Amino acid sequence: MANSSLNRKFDQIKKREEEKTFSTNKRSRIVNKFLNNRLAVIGLIIFTIIVLASIFAPILSPYDPMRVDLRSMRQPPSFDHWFGTDSTGRDVFARVLYGGRVSIFIGLGSAILSAVVGIAVGCYAGYKGGWIDVIALRVSEIFMSFPQIILVLLLVSITGQSLFNLMAIFIVTGWGGMYRLARARMLSLREEEYVQALRSFGLSTFTICYKHMLPNALSPIMVNITLSTAMFILTEAGLSFLGLGVPLNIPTWGNILNVAQDILILQNYWWMWGPVGIVISVFVLCVNFIGDGLRDSTDPSQQG
Amino acid sequence: MTTYIIQRLFIFFPMLLAISFLVYGGLELSPGDAVSHMISPELALSITAEQLEAMREAYGLNKSFLTRYWIWLTSMVQGDMGYSMAGGVAISEIMAKTVPATLELSLVALFFSTIIGCSLGVLSALKRGSATDNSLTVAGMAGVSIPEFFFGLVAILLFAIELQWLPVGGRLLPSYETVWDRIPNIVLPSLVLALMMTAGAMRYARSSMLDVLAREFITTARSKGMPEWRVNLLHGFRVALTPVVVLIGFRLPLLIGGSTIIEQVYQWPGIGNMFIRSVRGSDYPLVMTISLMYVFVVLTASLIIDVLTALIDPRVRLGKE
Repeated sequence: MANSSLNRKFDQIKKREEEKTFSTNKRSRIVNKFLNNRLAVIGLIIFTIIVLASIFAPILSPYDPMRVDLRSMRQPPSFDHWFGTDSTGRDVFARVLYGGRVSIFIGLGSAILSAVVGIAVGCYAGYKGGWIDVIALRVSEIFMSFPQIILVLLLVSITGQSLFNLMAIFIVTGWGGMYRLARARMLSLREEEYVQALRSFGLSTFTICYKHMLPNALSPIMVNITLSTAMFILTEAGLSFLGLGVPLNIPTWGNILNVAQDILILQNYWWMWGPVGIVISVFVLCVNFIGDGLRDSTDPSQQG
Repeated sequence: MTTYIIQRLFIFFPMLLAISFLVYGGLELSPGDAVSHMISPELALSITAEQLEAMREAYGLNKSFLTRYWIWLTSMVQGDMGYSMAGGVAISEIMAKTVPATLELSLVALFFSTIIGCSLGVLSALKRGSATDNSLTVAGMAGVSIPEFFFGLVAILLFAIELQWLPVGGRLLPSYETVWDRIPNIVLPSLVLALMMTAGAMRYARSSMLDVLAREFITTARSKGMPEWRVNLLHGFRVALTPVVVLIGFRLPLLIGGSTIIEQVYQWPGIGNMFIRSVRGSDYPLVMTISLMYVFVVLTASLIIDVLTALIDPRVRLGKE
């Protein structure tokens, strides 16, 4: 009896495979679920617009973000200068566009690189265990004993300020979370039968953990990358606002906001800091929407 | 239980020691030593190499790294934190002045964020799936997406400059006599700081409340014919909020770290403000002491959480190794 019902099941699967409804099914479900999430779609659209606007900044704005023009200082928004000009006559709209390039690059780049480091260590350590795991765990605990902003500031004071240093600092402070995530996933996957099967075939550890196990841990990792992109962009903005992030001569969203520390500018020249603050908030909100949408659509525990 | 606490302490102290060593060593790697920061550029032209060497000798800078670390560590344990390089003020004095200010700000913010976050979270759980629930979720995400200093600046512009209801910043003025005089100063920074925490508290409260509402004793209470508000308030609310409040209470370290930028925006004379000033001025002794204090707070908090969780849930300590 059991045998025939099993045969029937296999027949059904075979039929579905032949009709090609099988292989595309899973992907389309994730995409559909994401597309049904209105906020995630809105987030994705605005995110894309802001990213494209930063990439094509030279086309959208004729001004050079660094060029000082003392004849047009502190002009309110007009048809010529959409977001007005700052205290040295630089066009704020152009600075927001070019600043977006740097800020998004820092946010996304640090998130991806810290994920690469965290996953590389976490997968191997989680699967193998042993002394590598113990050391990596302790090191990540050391980094997690600091409030994040304090650790970043401490490292800035050690290394000095530069774009490269800032990204390195973000990676150093950010890999721990990803490592713990990857490690936890690996620890539970390690006991799965397919992994034991692969091991009994004599596959190398590298192949098992990076080729066969990692893809099964990918969706929480993707969600985490999105959320840490948002966090890094906010941290960069905060640090540059304090004057401790990216050197002030490079336009970033945080550096543009830096002028708002001056109460006169805060009071009288809202266009120098208002629009860019809104752009940061909207961008980060969109990234968070995307992350949330990704989590909802890929988390198997939420799939109906 | 005692063994568990001892186990945790065996992790706590080596951790603190390792971090202090790393921080000390890290700051050692930064360019220049204490003497080179004390000498003004004009003085540097007239000073001779021997004089420099004599200064290094006087400050003990020519001893080996490990010796200096040991001297620093032993005096630290005895409560002597050394002196700030800016003005030579004792660091313990600076800490005594700034830590209470930060605690005051953080505790008020914690109070606001817990009350607002829990009530909104419960509301959104009770109206699950409704427009209220959805808009609260979106508002919560906006709360974590807006940079808190930008929010702070807008609040200053609106309430301090345009409406002039509240002061722009600062904590104490010489003319302040009673507690009531000080309240206007803390309203803006604490509310802005609370905003950052409210979203998290709301999410916890919501999921905890949803969890409880699905339990059987709620069904029982309903089937007894109890009015819905009594079911929600007396049975659901009370059970759901206990874990949330415990959890939020221990987010204080996060709050203290998060207050750094807000203190700067509002010129609040707290530890975060002092930390940023010391980082800007490369005041290494102060940078080191303050960051280690943060580490101490975080580690102590996580130790207390671990012990409390073990007290509440015996599986934690029994299942361990």
